[in-house]
Amino acid sequence: MNLDWLDAFLLFGLFTVVMYAGLGLLLHLQLGLARIANFGIVGFWGLGAYAFGILLTKVDWPFGDPWPFLISMVFGMVVAGIAGLLVGWLIADLDTEGVLVGTLGFATAVWILATTEQGLTGGALGMGGLRFPFDIGSVKANETLWFVILTLVVAAILYYVWRVHRSPYGRLLIAVGDNEPLARSLGKPTFQTKLWLFAVGSAGMGLLGIFYGVMVHLLIPEGITINVTLAAMVGLVLGGTVRVWGAIVGVVLTVGFFDIVVQSYLPLPRSWYTQAIPVLREMVFGAALIVVLLIRPFGILGGMRRDKLMRSMHGE
Amino acid sequence: MDLLGDSLVIGLTQYAPLILAAMGFALIYRLSGLINVAFSETITLGAYIGVWINTTFGLNFYAVLLPAGVGAGLISVGTYFAVFRPAKQRNVGMLEMIIISFGLSVFLRHGLQFIFGYPVRFFDVPPPDTIRVLGVGVSTFRLLALGSVIALALGLFWFIQKSGLGLQIRALAGDEDLAQASGIRPLFVTVLIWFIGGAAGGLAGAFLGVNSNVAPLLGWRQFLFIFLVVMVGGVKNIGGVIIAGAAAGIALAAMTLELGQVLYAQLILITAFVVILKVRGRRAVEVEKV
Repeated sequence: MNLDWLDAFLLFGLFTVVMYAGLGLLLHLQLGLARIANFGIVGFWGLGAYAFGILLTKVDWPFGDPWPFLISMVFGMVVAGIAGLLVGWLIADLDTEGVLVGTLGFATAVWILATTEQGLTGGALGMGGLRFPFDIGSVKANETLWFVILTLVVAAILYYVWRVHRSPYGRLLIAVGDNEPLARSLGKPTFQTKLWLFAVGSAGMGLLGIFYGVMVHLLIPEGITINVTLAAMVGLVLGGTVRVWGAIVGVVLTVGFFDIVVQSYLPLPRSWYTQAIPVLREMVFGAALIVVLLIRPFGILGGMRRDKLMRSMHGE
Repeated sequence: MDLLGDSLVIGLTQYAPLILAAMGFALIYRLSGLINVAFSETITLGAYIGVWINTTFGLNFYAVLLPAGVGAGLISVGTYFAVFRPAKQRNVGMLEMIIISFGLSVFLRHGLQFIFGYPVRFFDVPPPDTIRVLGVGVSTFRLLALGSVIALALGLFWFIQKSGLGLQIRALAGDEDLAQASGIRPLFVTVLIWFIGGAAGGLAGAFLGVNSNVAPLLGWRQFLFIFLVVMVGGVKNIGGVIIAGAAAGIALAAMTLELGQVLYAQLILITAFVVILKVRGRRAVEVEKV
């Protein structure tokens, strides 16, 4: 197979888009269905990556590849999931402001620990030594295979979200988001639902963080800022918060435009890419959030399509 | 005893501007029920206006405070008319409102970075003398700044609680329909609140900037602290914000001295505040006002 057209920039751009699409899909369940504004995505994302990296690089493994990698991966996901459980427990009965405080505070706490615990995380210098669990020849071949695996994982997340939309669990999430006291009065366990939602979503975010960390081989505190949350959120909001494909459409249009089109195809002066373009990217993302929510609050794809059962009940 | 004195002096001199900012934030929050994430950029803009006038025209720092406060207040009113008022007229929900203000915050922050670039800026102030208070060396400039912040905070407190306009503000925040029925012009009072809140933020930004440096992230770095102080201090009573802010500042200074690492102190404070919120159990009620 001839892959000459796939240079390092384009591959990394595609990788970034697929990863943010995965984050957007997980956020969709929380923000779109259950209407919990998780501003701490980057915290779970970074915590998973760091937990994975610490176990992989600091432990003297008695057996060879790929077991240390796989065990560390599961460990990273479990740590992120437990953190999700804890944060979910903290914020499940708080109002929107409380959720904002809790999730932002959690993301800040992860950033603080990544900076201060130099013995474990390498502090501001970063943690290196994250390598692919396989070696199939060139760097490009390895990165391409890693990208393919990530795509499969995100496809699995997409399938999960699609299934949730057509399941009693999905209707429960919508009910919690719509009117929580009503859902509780009908005997639905809203508190446990939120806990489960946060635990699963956070484990998934941690997994995506691990994929990203391995792709760039280096974890630094500078990499786990609010910008990660912003990119996932702006993609989801632009595409449509309540639709299954919203995150994917939105992320392709936003992150895809900047990290693929601008990065690889627009004839811009080289010096712009280091300073002007990243700042401009965040500016456009911020403005997009405002404009979309003012003009078309449900995003490009529009309002929610209910599943067959709900449609028949409402006579549509 | 040493630790108490040290943390009292350091905590108050270092975190007093944040209390002023928290009061401004609480004012807007109380009126509109809106968590204005972009308030952090009002702080940053106040610092930038201050440093620009200070270095361009060579004005004294205290002469710069007036334009910095007024400028930040006007920008705050501008964001109200450009974003939050249209959003309210379109009946945007509480959750979307927070995301909108988050987007505005990101837009303004990176806009500043785009215009001013990465290098930080410094206020041009004479090198200060140092005197000893309770056994701690403090620059006279910081003491003067602390005095000004306290005066401004008390002035704001008096204005809200005692003056006629303050009464109108509290009336509008309490019950909009009733306030309107008793002859309060909602638009005028709303604009006034956004102006005063923004001005308090801008002044805080100028004080924060003169204490260290001015950078696009100046306000955002303080946002979580301000937000936590307002949430824990209570929105109903602006005095609670002052007390929570002062207590948090002193606690931060004490923990920083004990642990030798400001980040650990922040970590403990964040955890403590979130646990307080959890224990107190805020009722999940959507406030539908902006």
